[in-house]
Amino acid sequence: MNAAAQFATVLTIALASAGVTYLVKGPPDRLVHCDPAKLKPDEVCLDRVMNEWKGRVLWVDARPRADWQRNGMPGAALWNLESSENMQTFEADIAGRMIDGPRVVVYCNNEDCGTSRQVAERIKSLQLGNEVFVLYGGWRALTAAKLTRDFPRK
Amino acid sequence: MRTAICCWLALAGFLHAGGLTFEHELLEIHAPADAGSIVADFNFENKTDKIVTIAKYDTTCSCIGVQVADGKLTYAPGEKGRIRASFDMKNFSGVVNKTVVLWLDKDPAEKPSVTLTVEVHIPVLVVLKEKTLKWKLGETPDTQKIDITMDYTKPIKIVSTTCTSDNFKVEVRTLEEGKHYELLVTPADVKEPGLAIIRIETDCDVQRHKILQAFAVIRRELPPLP
Repeated sequence: MNAAAQFATVLTIALASAGVTYLVKGPPDRLVHCDPAKLKPDEVCLDRVMNEWKGRVLWVDARPRADWQRNGMPGAALWNLESSENMQTFEADIAGRMIDGPRVVVYCNNEDCGTSRQVAERIKSLQLGNEVFVLYGGWRALTAAKLTRDFPRK
Repeated sequence: MRTAICCWLALAGFLHAGGLTFEHELLEIHAPADAGSIVADFNFENKTDKIVTIAKYDTTCSCIGVQVADGKLTYAPGEKGRIRASFDMKNFSGVVNKTVVLWLDKDPAEKPSVTLTVEVHIPVLVVLKEKTLKWKLGETPDTQKIDITMDYTKPIKIVSTTCTSDNFKVEVRTLEEGKHYELLVTPADVKEPGLAIIRIETDCDVQRHKILQAFAVIRRELPPLP
């Protein structure tokens, strides 16, 4: 058997193994696995928000405005760190919605996005006394759990 | 068979090749109070024995512009390069972190290899010690105060205040002209929950410190959350 045939054989075996794995184990698991023991103090797992707290939180979307307009958690407030935005407008909007004391959960594009932590800090600095968290896994966790909605274009 | 295994291993090696070594992945910049934009340079070197390609870069904010020196995205072993990030900071004060993420070679979409962070410190010239004053529903409508200090080389005066609710009386008490003030806030009654926005206008020559905002809140005792 020449080298090309040997290579094709190895490739065929690898692809067949991958196919069998897919059939037996199913498609890859895209859920964000959140271990409460490994969370940073200000982070929260989506599972806790949706099950223990029954989703009764004020969602804050820290993504750019265009993304917030396109899709997201229904009713989520917008607060990002874009220089085109007015931070005082964000403050006023969210302060008004925090008055009844809901927990606040901030999400941005993924777990590497530092924006949600900075936004969470700014919300805490309003000193309204609400508990403020960063969603572990951010947008990826929400979409994997099929919780987000597409919004009609205005 | 040995040839096939060698080909396989070589291909696997190529797929996993990657890595740029940065002098700093976190840069701390202390900007002046009136900073409009800030530039941060991240110098790097390919210290591997493989060619490394910057496949993609992204930012967490449209306020960041990224330039790779000379538009060059592929780096041979030993080659050096620079990524310049420029930030529009005109809306910010205090400490702000901005990040740039890089995907090298075949990085998966959810796992970029490199995260570069700039921590920008912009002086806060007008410091409100309290951002929100709170009264519980039904308690005595006592006067509460917000302590305001000016941390600038020039004096900063409070020129006016406005409040979005008629239920609150707002007065400015000068402790040291241009340096230290108190904002005295008194609700007429605390029978209904409500939130008022207090806007404080100064004569500061730095635009971002001209208008400040504080809150006055009347709310019921919050029940313990589950």
